[in-house]
Amino acid sequence: MVTDLANKEDKVALVVEADVIHQRLLHKLLGQLGYQVFIAENGRRGIELYSECMPDIVLMDIDMPVMDGYQAAREIKKLASGRFLPLIFFVKQDSEDIYINCFDAGGDGVVVWPFSPQYFHSKVKSVERIGILYNQLQALQQSQQQDAELAEQLMAGVIEARNYGTDKINIVAQAAELFSGDIHLTALCPNGDVNVLLGDFTGHGLRSSIGAIPLAETFRAMTKKGFSLDKIIAEVNRQLYQLLPTDLFLAAAVATVSSHDQSVYIFNAGLPDVYLLSESGRIKRKVNSVHPPLGIMENLLSDTAISVHTVKQTDTLVMFSDGVIEARAPSDKMFGIKRLEKCMKAGVVSQQAASTIIEEVNAFCHGLPQEDDISIIEVPCGGWGATSVEVSKQAINLNNTNYCLLEHDNVDPAWQWQMKLTGTRLASVNPIPMVMNQIQEIEGERDRWQSIYTILTELYVNALDHGVLGLSSELKSSPEGFAEYFKERQLRLNQLASGYIDIELKYYALNQGAKLVIRIKDSGEGFDIKRFFAKASEDNGTSIKLSGRGIELVLQLSDTLHYYEEGSLVEVSVLC
Amino acid sequence: MTVTRLISDNNKKLTITIQDKFDFSLYQSFRDSYSDFDSPNGQIVLDLHKTSYMDSSALGMILLLKEHADKLASKIVITGPNPAVLQILEIAQFQKMMTIE
Repeated sequence: MVTDLANKEDKVALVVEADVIHQRLLHKLLGQLGYQVFIAENGRRGIELYSECMPDIVLMDIDMPVMDGYQAAREIKKLASGRFLPLIFFVKQDSEDIYINCFDAGGDGVVVWPFSPQYFHSKVKSVERIGILYNQLQALQQSQQQDAELAEQLMAGVIEARNYGTDKINIVAQAAELFSGDIHLTALCPNGDVNVLLGDFTGHGLRSSIGAIPLAETFRAMTKKGFSLDKIIAEVNRQLYQLLPTDLFLAAAVATVSSHDQSVYIFNAGLPDVYLLSESGRIKRKVNSVHPPLGIMENLLSDTAISVHTVKQTDTLVMFSDGVIEARAPSDKMFGIKRLEKCMKAGVVSQQAASTIIEEVNAFCHGLPQEDDISIIEVPCGGWGATSVEVSKQAINLNNTNYCLLEHDNVDPAWQWQMKLTGTRLASVNPIPMVMNQIQEIEGERDRWQSIYTILTELYVNALDHGVLGLSSELKSSPEGFAEYFKERQLRLNQLASGYIDIELKYYALNQGAKLVIRIKDSGEGFDIKRFFAKASEDNGTSIKLSGRGIELVLQLSDTLHYYEEGSLVEVSVLC
Repeated sequence: MTVTRLISDNNKKLTITIQDKFDFSLYQSFRDSYSDFDSPNGQIVLDLHKTSYMDSSALGMILLLKEHADKLASKIVITGPNPAVLQILEIAQFQKMMTIE
């Protein structure tokens, strides 16, 4: 609400004036402008009356008994701090010294006796205009502050409250005086991996948070459905590009931490380096920005890849926003990367890198207000989802029942769903997120879907690689062969013209719980099932295996596994 | 903190120079420095020799300049950033979108 002094009713003026004739004259002139007038005959009385009448304007004489005008002006201005109170000196002589003293004492104008009524009126009106501007500015500042608080509340209370794994992931967020657009998101992938995003929108206040809701929605929904990191980033970029004006964008680092793969996948678009540290505090890797921030380009640059890093369970991933490095001490020095690395190394040993850094930053800044948001995220690389998969001997025993056709209790399924991909579509579409979506749409959310996702992915990849593409997993027996395998795979995918994969789900409601039966049929020639499992038994004991991990995982997670039609049809059932 | 500009005699080259801090306070004067430059197929030089510091809103302002340049089919060249300014440009990977000398 802006108070408009010119049109305000009950305007109050305080006249501090020793000369009785001047008092009367000023009283009359102010009355013509609609002011209610209070009169004090000296500075001391002026200060007392100020507190009683809370004037909108003060007219001040200089030479007065008890207390002169300069001192009274200083005291009144002090009492009025926080609001705009125009104060005009009325002087009997005009000299440069007097002018200087008046302005030094806080005066907003000086008028020399004698003057015309017209001059008096325009002088008062001009300080009223300043008062209006001042009030408007104050109202704008307040509304900006409210917007910033709303934005901060939105981020912390609504968006980030839904983060996953916050018991293990340390997130330190310290917003600037005017909230500046940092966002922290974590979400669980269906296979137990965790996706983490640290973002920094340009701008301040509400302006910097308009992209936050679509970002959070897309990041969570796509993570949950099992889309890969590159697809998620591409979609986030596309949305922000469409949504945000040209000069607004999101600098972000995004990572998938996979305990199962013992890998971390990192993409850095415009944030400071992302760090990987060992448990002893050694910096193993710094991953620098390889792409302009998200929302600037219509499509991601094609030459930028997500970097993959092999990690130990005991390693730690640390991300932070530039507000940490640029935090300033009273001496105007910046916190800087050296101090940051030192705290990070020391803190990571006790798994408290984030809190160690922020404590140092706050000590460094001596309570000086921050100019930018400060964010630090610390993620342990181990302990996410299904950890190491040990081969269960029982599961791969060649039990005869594994090969007989199982009757499904002669009941109709509660629902069934089927999809068949053929030819080039096999190279361009990943059907698993669609399948998962289907299950979630019908049955709602359940923890159990994590393992269903893993089963589906492993079986689908087997059907595509070994069935349709006819790749031999023997190729993967050495690390070099591993790379060769993927090269060959890409080659065959590019040339793929025929072939199909058929995915079928049947969901049976049981007395207690339910059973999901997954059948995947491919157009390939199948494989020697007995030989495969015999070999798997032999290999059980060697520490490093580069192939066959997938099917071991499926065996662990499912209740039955059957191969038919020379191995080109696989059926898995899972009680859920 | 000032923005100055120079347009070449043939009207094909606009040079914008930023002194001291390049941040949001220059928003209007920065926009004014190029908004009336409408000569197609020209060149826009953003001279940062005298720029001491730059923040992320300056990156946004450069993107607005690029948008303007793209409309005119003109090229943008950023010249003379000091190490601190260059680092900010490189973290944002602006060298992939425009020439930095």
